[in-house]
Amino acid sequence: MSLALYYFLAITAIYILMSWGLYLPYRVAHLHFLTVANMLISGYLAGFLVQNLGFSFWIALILGFAAGGILGYLISLFIGDAPTFTVVIVGFTFIYVSRTVVENLKAVGGTMGMFGLPTVAGTPSTHRTVLLILLYVLVVVVGFLIYRFEHSRLGRAASAVFVDKDLATSLGVDIKRMGRLVQTFSSLIAGGCGVLYGFIYRSYHLDFFTFHLVGIFMTVIFVGGYATMWGTVIAAPALYGLTLILPTEVASWRIVIYGAILIAVLVLKPEGFITRRLAYRVENALTRKRKRHITDPKGD
Amino acid sequence: MSKKLMALLAALLLVASFAMAAGEKEAAPAAAGVVVDQWEIPFLNSLTGAIASIGEYLQWGAERAAFEINQAGGIAGKPVKVIGVDTALEPQLGVVEMGKIVNWALVALGPVPEPVIMAAAPIAVENEMMTMTATTSLEYAERFFPWSISWFPATADRLPPLATEWAKMAGVKRVVQFVGVYGPWPGMAAAHVDGLKAAGAAHVGDVEFNVDAVTFGPLVVRALDMKPDGIILACWPDKAAKIVQELKNRGWTDMNKILLFSSADDAALYTTGGAALNGTIIYNYINVDTDRPRWIAFKEAYSRDHNGLQPPSLSTNYYDAVYMIKRAIEETGVTGDPRKLKEERKAIAAYMFNMKNFEGLLFNWDMSNGIPTNKPTYLFEIQDGRKKLVKEIRP
Amino acid sequence: MQVFIAQVINGLSLGSIYVLLATGFNLLLIVAMIIHFAYPQVVVFSMYIAWVVLRYTNDNVVLAVLAAIGSSILLNLVSAPLFQKIMKNREEVDINTTMVLSLGIGMIITDILSHGFNKGLPIAFPEALAGTRPLLRVGLISILSGQVSSLLVGVVAVSGIFLLLYKTRAGRAFRAIAEDPAGARLVGIPIVRTGLESYALSGILGGLIAVLLAMLLGYTSPGLGELVAHKVLAVSIIAGLGNLVGGLVVGLALGILEALVQGYISGSWSNAIAFVVMLVVMLFRPRGLFGIKL
Repeated sequence: MSLALYYFLAITAIYILMSWGLYLPYRVAHLHFLTVANMLISGYLAGFLVQNLGFSFWIALILGFAAGGILGYLISLFIGDAPTFTVVIVGFTFIYVSRTVVENLKAVGGTMGMFGLPTVAGTPSTHRTVLLILLYVLVVVVGFLIYRFEHSRLGRAASAVFVDKDLATSLGVDIKRMGRLVQTFSSLIAGGCGVLYGFIYRSYHLDFFTFHLVGIFMTVIFVGGYATMWGTVIAAPALYGLTLILPTEVASWRIVIYGAILIAVLVLKPEGFITRRLAYRVENALTRKRKRHITDPKGD
Repeated sequence: MSKKLMALLAALLLVASFAMAAGEKEAAPAAAGVVVDQWEIPFLNSLTGAIASIGEYLQWGAERAAFEINQAGGIAGKPVKVIGVDTALEPQLGVVEMGKIVNWALVALGPVPEPVIMAAAPIAVENEMMTMTATTSLEYAERFFPWSISWFPATADRLPPLATEWAKMAGVKRVVQFVGVYGPWPGMAAAHVDGLKAAGAAHVGDVEFNVDAVTFGPLVVRALDMKPDGIILACWPDKAAKIVQELKNRGWTDMNKILLFSSADDAALYTTGGAALNGTIIYNYINVDTDRPRWIAFKEAYSRDHNGLQPPSLSTNYYDAVYMIKRAIEETGVTGDPRKLKEERKAIAAYMFNMKNFEGLLFNWDMSNGIPTNKPTYLFEIQDGRKKLVKEIRP
Repeated sequence: MQVFIAQVINGLSLGSIYVLLATGFNLLLIVAMIIHFAYPQVVVFSMYIAWVVLRYTNDNVVLAVLAAIGSSILLNLVSAPLFQKIMKNREEVDINTTMVLSLGIGMIITDILSHGFNKGLPIAFPEALAGTRPLLRVGLISILSGQVSSLLVGVVAVSGIFLLLYKTRAGRAFRAIAEDPAGARLVGIPIVRTGLESYALSGILGGLIAVLLAMLLGYTSPGLGELVAHKVLAVSIIAGLGNLVGGLVVGLALGILEALVQGYISGSWSNAIAFVVMLVVMLFRPRGLFGIKL
């Protein structure tokens, strides 16, 4: 596999995971930007543990996930059922605070960043293979969990909350608990992504974790489709790849093109490319095919 | 737009993305001597995004060198082309582009700036390809030795003498620094402090701030409350200009007692500060009043293409980098044969790492294990948007 | 004491920026239920237009002001229908979709400014417009003409818009079509014309804000809008969405808080501390300090 393809696939996996991390709280109408702060905190924590304290990557990864989940849970105790605006402010606050703390921490390189993280396994080539496998295993696992969530009572409850919080409450949905669940899970994913993101580059720099990332993930969700998880899977590689395939003259206007695509999709196809109805039809078609195969495998 | 058409579009986009990400350059046919029709040098640069204005003149400098070289017959008789590869400020673009480049390039220019360097330069190192990060400090570049070279000596060596000379010249005794919290700048600020000590001046405090500061009254009042008689500015160029204006608004009159550091010496300083900067001192590595013919031609060409502006100091770095590559290729007998890519990369890198008496645009210098030696630095006084030489300081 | 007074004055100056931008932001919210996260970028665009006109008309301030207002109106007229198309429910604020749409608009504006004006470099306004003349200087205390103008005009703008929206027929019509377009039509309010007037009003305000910021700051850059956008949104939320008076108070308070943190603690911590304080306020008063006024 070429290096370019490896990095493309690896970063795409991060985009998918982080966009799902934003998608999940959005199911209850929360814009949970805390996830970017989770990336930063868990990433630097893992870097510090591995480089300064000699921890193994795998322990650091688990601790990174845990740090994200714990922070997400603790914050969700306060904002599980908060209005969207509060959740947005919380996200911004933690991004600013975590960046400022890291800037001033010499132990993690401060403004210079952390260089030369060790490989996770043997040679650089093995390192890449292991990371890529790990990333896509995570994509499958997280995707499966989100799929199960969507097709469960919890998922239906989340949809009710998205449409009308008061109505959902009157139907017996515990808004706070729902909010806590999705926020904690999304922060958990983000924590792990932060660790992996740094190990893809084998370095950490504050400018790896900026508000710009928020814009990227929001674009992926809204262009792909915010009503189902599948839109992200299509939009993440497409939008990332778009920036790589544009001719040089056009590429300099990349950001304008991104913005125009986002606006066009919001106006013309508000639910995004992959709508709930489309996802439902595809699932139904696959289910029907499977049922036909089970009842009549020879197709007679 | 029909659903089918949209689905087709999305699918095409996906396929194209994968295809381009995995793209390989075709191998040139083998031949004796130089086998390429054209030397192609990729330049990973920030052509869009927050520092696009800097990326523009870095690219200009590199392309200017290529133009001159081609006018004079090329490199080993073949023309050279600098290929701009935009990575903006995004490491996720930098790694994919570097991943493509290491498949075919002999040597690369860039990346720019530090976040992209950190992400993408290790790929060049792993593939044993020189990547010339000509705008960053030694403290970043040395992480990638011997597959990079530094344009600057160690911060702790090069900056203190500048601060010492300025402090003595300006007669300052109590100095406050404004420090932008970014990359190597806090380290540079610390080096200034060492220089002040050597001059017998006291460093009374630092005023730190982030990139999103938009007004500077509070910072300036804090600084002035420390009762300094000298100010050093180690921060973004446009913000340095605003701080100077704010100082003047609050009664600061002795402009010679304000020192701006080299990273502030950028077009943004002059377009923001204008006449308010008159009399301030700035240090940097190029002397715009040198009378070398190549430099005069460069200056005139830059001015023509940039509405009469003077070339910023960094504009010469990648110009020199391209000439370094020319010399390295010609001196090592590199052929450009893809079958010899690995060994020819090593040859170029090894040659550049210890290149002697390189004829830069403005002065000659030696490389010693990737670090430049005997590069001068200068103190200038700014007057009407131009720098007037005050003193040259040689290590 | 002198330092403290100087920092408070600095804080009022910084706060004026937030007040001006939050007022324009709130106006769009009140008349069109739009959360225009990229409103600061729209204002910065108008600043650039003013600068271009100044350059080519030998510093004609009147033309520059008119150009800034014109460009702001134009951007509003172009973007407002896009917002209203995507809002699920015209009578309610839809932060999610409008925020994302305004992100897209902000990206486009910032990139166009980076490409098309002065090679993406910051621009300085000439003395004719920049209010850098000191009106008072006592020790560390300094008051510039731009600071006074922007603060005074900010207060006047808030008062004027408050009176217009809540004490005049036209203002009631603007609010009516924002809160209930069908009901407004029923009572005979001409929807299209009134809508256009409301966008034009916010455009005029946007243009004026652009000019005042030019006087206050003396410069601008393509990224300036992005640098303040988070704080403008935060000020509006903390004050209470649509609350003009609240936006004035919270904007100035935030400016003073930031100035004091920069003056006494550290400039690099000012954002973090400011947001933590705002967060604490949010947690105790989720509907804002002064209540939502939509």
